[in-house]
Order: sequence, then C-alpha cells, then structure tokens
Amino acid sequence: MESMIEAEHLSKTFRVARRRPGLSGALRSVLDPAVRHVEAVQDLSLRVARGEMVGLVGPNGAGKSTTIKMLTGILVPTGGDVHVAGLNPVRQRRELASRIGVVFGQRSQLWWDLPLIDSLRLLRHLYRVQEKRHRENLARLRGMLDLDEFLDTPVRQLSLGQRMRGDLAAALLHDPELLYLDEPTIGLDVVAKARIREFLLAINAEQGVTVLLTTHDMDDVEMLCPRMVIIDHGRKLYDGTVGEIRERFGGERTLIAVLDAAEIAAIARDVQGQPVLGELPEGVRQVQAEAPRIWLSFGRDALPAHELVAWLGARYRLRDVTFQEPEIEDVIRRIYEEGLLLTEAIRSKRV
Amino acid sequence: MRSYIQSMMSNLLLDLRLYRRLIAMQLRAQLQYKMNVFIDIATYLSVTGLEFVPVLIYFGSFPSLLGWKVGEVALLFAITSMSFGLAELFGAGIDGFDETIRRGEFDRVLLRPAGALLQVVSSDIRLRRLGRITEGLLIFVLALGLLPGFSWTPLKLLVLPLGIVSGALVFIAILLLGATLCFWTVETTEITNILTYGGRELLSYPLTIYNQGLQRFFLFLVPLAFGTYIPTCYLLGRPLPFGLPGALAFGAPLVALAFALIAGATWRFGVHRYQSTGS
Repeated sequence: MESMIEAEHLSKTFRVARRRPGLSGALRSVLDPAVRHVEAVQDLSLRVARGEMVGLVGPNGAGKSTTIKMLTGILVPTGGDVHVAGLNPVRQRRELASRIGVVFGQRSQLWWDLPLIDSLRLLRHLYRVQEKRHRENLARLRGMLDLDEFLDTPVRQLSLGQRMRGDLAAALLHDPELLYLDEPTIGLDVVAKARIREFLLAINAEQGVTVLLTTHDMDDVEMLCPRMVIIDHGRKLYDGTVGEIRERFGGERTLIAVLDAAEIAAIARDVQGQPVLGELPEGVRQVQAEAPRIWLSFGRDALPAHELVAWLGARYRLRDVTFQEPEIEDVIRRIYEEGLLLTEAIRSKRV
Repeated sequence: MRSYIQSMMSNLLLDLRLYRRLIAMQLRAQLQYKMNVFIDIATYLSVTGLEFVPVLIYFGSFPSLLGWKVGEVALLFAITSMSFGLAELFGAGIDGFDETIRRGEFDRVLLRPAGALLQVVSSDIRLRRLGRITEGLLIFVLALGLLPGFSWTPLKLLVLPLGIVSGALVFIAILLLGATLCFWTVETTEITNILTYGGRELLSYPLTIYNQGLQRFFLFLVPLAFGTYIPTCYLLGRPLPFGLPGALAFGAPLVALAFALIAGATWRFGVHRYQSTGS
C-alpha cells in the first residue's frame, strides 16, 4: 500500500543550556554555557499507509510532540530520513502545510473574538482554496459537525466541545490528506468525546483521510485506531494492535462469581465474616469477596477461563459468572511504570 | 523568466490581499469594543502628547537649540512621531512576537502554507497607536504655525511622505531584528525598546546636538535619521552633518529598504534556527 508517512531512524537531540544559580552563575552561563544534550527522539522508524488511523501513545515528555513536529516540518531532525505525502517536510514545509491538517486540543487556531464563521471563511485565503471547493467543504462539515447552531457565536463564547468541532472543521477545509490530532478529546465530556470520535471515523471512512493522533485517553485509541504506537523515552516501544498488547501485557483477568445464597452459608468465613474459597487451582487467587459475590483473579497462562468456570461449577452452585478484561489504561500504565517494553527495546538494540 | 516574474507578482498580489484580510479580522475583533478603542486612542494621545512638553519647557527659557527655532524642532518632532506611530501601528504583530513564541503560536504559523513573516506582521494591529499619529499630526500643524516663512515646493511635498514611510520602515525593521532575537532568547524586548523608543526620543531633537559617534550610528548603522532628520533638514533647507548632500533625502526609501532586507535575512536565519532547536 502507498505510504503517507515514511520515517526511518528518526532522531532529535536538543541542546539544553543549563542555568547556574545566582548572578555570577548567570554571567558564567553566558560566557561558558553548560550544555546538556537531551535525546528527545531516538532511532524512531514509522510507516503509515494512506487511509490508516494510528494512535501515538506515550507519557508526557515521551517524544510524541517532537515526532509530530518533525513530521510537519516545524523541526529539523538531527538524524534519519522522513517523507510525508512524498514530500520532505522541512524543505517543502509550505507545500506540505497545504496538504495536512493539524488540530491541537489545547490550542485553538480560531480567531478568539470573532464568530466562528469568520475564521472558517478566512482560512480559505490562508490556504488558497478555490471558492467552489471551499463552499462545498464548508457545507459538508457544517452538516457533519452540526456547526450551524453556533456558527455566528464568537469563538470565546463556545463550549470546549463546540470549539473543538470548529477547530476540526478549520483543519479540514482545505481537504488535507493527513490529519494530525494532538489530544483531540482532552477535557471533553463523554457525549462530546463520542461525537468527535464518530466524526473522525466518518472522515476516515468517507474521505480516506489518514489520521495520526496522540492521546492520553486509551478509549480514543481503542475506538478509533486499529493500530497503536507506544513511545517512551524517545523510542518506539510498540507498534501493533490494541488487542495484541492486551494479550501480551494484560496481566490477570478477573472472574466475578455470584454464588447461590444457600451455598454461601456453608462456606468458610474469614475474620471479616466474608466467604473464602479453599483449594483454588494453581494460579488463581481470591482478591475480594462481598457475599454473594467473589472475585477471582487468574493469569492468562494459568488456565483457560472455561476450565475455571467448570472447576467452580463442579464445587459450588453458581448463579452468575462474569469476566473482566484488564483495562487497557492499566496495561499501558504497567508498561510505563515497569518499563516492560523499554528493556525489551534496549535488549533488541544490543543484539 | 517572464513567467517567473509574473508568478512572483501574482503571489505578491495574493499576499497583499491576504494581509488585508488578516488585518481586517484584527480590526473587526478590536472594534467589537468600540468605546474601549476610543478611550485607548485618547489616552495614548495624551500620554504621547506629554512627550512634547520638554520641548515647550526648553523653548520657554531659550530662544534656540543649536540654531534650531521652536517651529523647526516641532517639525522634526512631528515627523519622527508620525514615523514611529505608523511603525507601532503596523509593526504591532512583530512587536508582540515574543508573546507569540512564548505561547507556542509560532508552530501554528509554520503549519500554514502562507509566509511566516506575513502571518506574523498581520497577526496584530493596535488601533490605540493612532493616538501617536494624531499627536504627530497636531504637532505638525503647530509647527507650520510656528514657521511663518515656510513655503512648500513640489519636491518638499514628495520628501515629506517618503521620509515618514522610510522612517516607519526602519523602525519596523528594528522591531523585526528584536523579534528575531526571540529565537535565541525570550527576554529581548528591552534591547529593542532602547532602539525604538530610545531612537524616537533621541531623533525628536536635532541630530547635531549629539556626539559624532551617535550621529554616525543613526546615519550609517541604524539609518533612522534618513526617515526623520534628513527629510526635515530638506524641508527646512538646512545643511546635513558630515557635509552630506541635502538630496540624500530622496534616497531615504532605498536606505530603509536595504536595512529592512538585512533585517529580513536575519529573520529567515532565525526561523531556520527555530526549526533546528525548537523553542
């Protein structure tokens, strides 16, 4: 498939001047700056096909923004090679700019004091879009994003969700092939989030817009992006599906069993008077009990879920059984905190 | 070659139209608070008017300043004020560039296909600066009243606007140099202010009252005198320092343009630096 983004061994090192304390320190820093090198992005390769939707995930300071800045031509990479839409982002920045759209969740590109429609009209001239095309795009986006109710309201008076819809329209008026979204749902309520996600799925499906989004909200990734790239400490740690990562690092699943009321009475009790199941199979432990409910946690490798159900069924009268998959949020947190993939990435580099 | 020039001209035309549209957006935004703008202009007029008080005080006690009469100094003062007022009005976007960088908005500028400098220049226009231009106009009328023997010639009528616009261009170029410094360090406004506000203050008085080093500085290094002192001397029929010919007044636009081009090249260099370092 044709590539929209091709980045090979991208790296970016910042020279950061360290300030010395005090006045004499400040003077010394002018003459003899103490420079520290910060490797914001290291050896990052990324290939995104036309029409893909990819989620870029990582903690703050992981190198996501730096990566996006290199992909848009705002920043010159220290090393590596990058092409976006077949263009060299730095050398052909302005040409690339007319073919991509960028939305920063925390920073609007709309004119604050003026009605939304004024910004949307002006963007035609900033991007030199043909009048007819602009009119058609505006009409379509107005419908898709339901802009009409607040088109004449000054941007400063819009709710966060409305403003985000306005910003999305602003980023798409010139028919970009690629849309970068930086935290597009940050601070939005559930309904507004759902609406934005629905819209993004629609433009991806209908117009074939390639979408690269950074987010902290794993729901965004789960609902929008079949593919997820995890970045930490400037390195790419993972590139694959959301499901696979849950499989690999999901840790333990939870089974919630609701026992028959009569059964409960016969079971041994702990000091708090809650039931305790004895002689559980290996790899299964009881994590919580609140009669008649009992929570059992078990590893993916310990035994298949149906065997655990069978095991329980053979010994107790069950009224109900439900399973809880580990939250992807927790999985990702574990990956950062325990450096699960980081050690792996370093190891594979040494080999 | 011909088609290259044609496309360049049509690009320039589109840029000018874009500039007009962006400025119109700014004006519309500011005019939402009409009363506010009016009070701002009036306040700025009285504040800048106060700057003229020392001239009146001086001439209350002394008949002339190195041979310059009150009307002549007032004329110089008025021309300098109008030049600087125009620069403040149209250079507001450049003047506020440190804020643009600090808020991270320069990234957005680079994400658009229009030229970066064009976007920065048209990102702001400060209507209250009309106060200083009004002050300049009022003092100009006063100066003409104080110069009973003054007579206009067609060439003088040409030199006057050329000088004012050239002066404004040099002031704006200084602002641009200051903005460029923001790519290295954000704390630069004071350095620029020395040259802009300080330059306006110094050049409101006859250049020859300063030592030769300072005179050379404003003639040959930062050619502000070309937009203020030299045209005023031409209008008044006064000789220029260092035996320079009075006709130099007609060269003001070229000198200003050259200085602006140098500032522009420095700006480009700064943008490249931004792209390799981030902010």
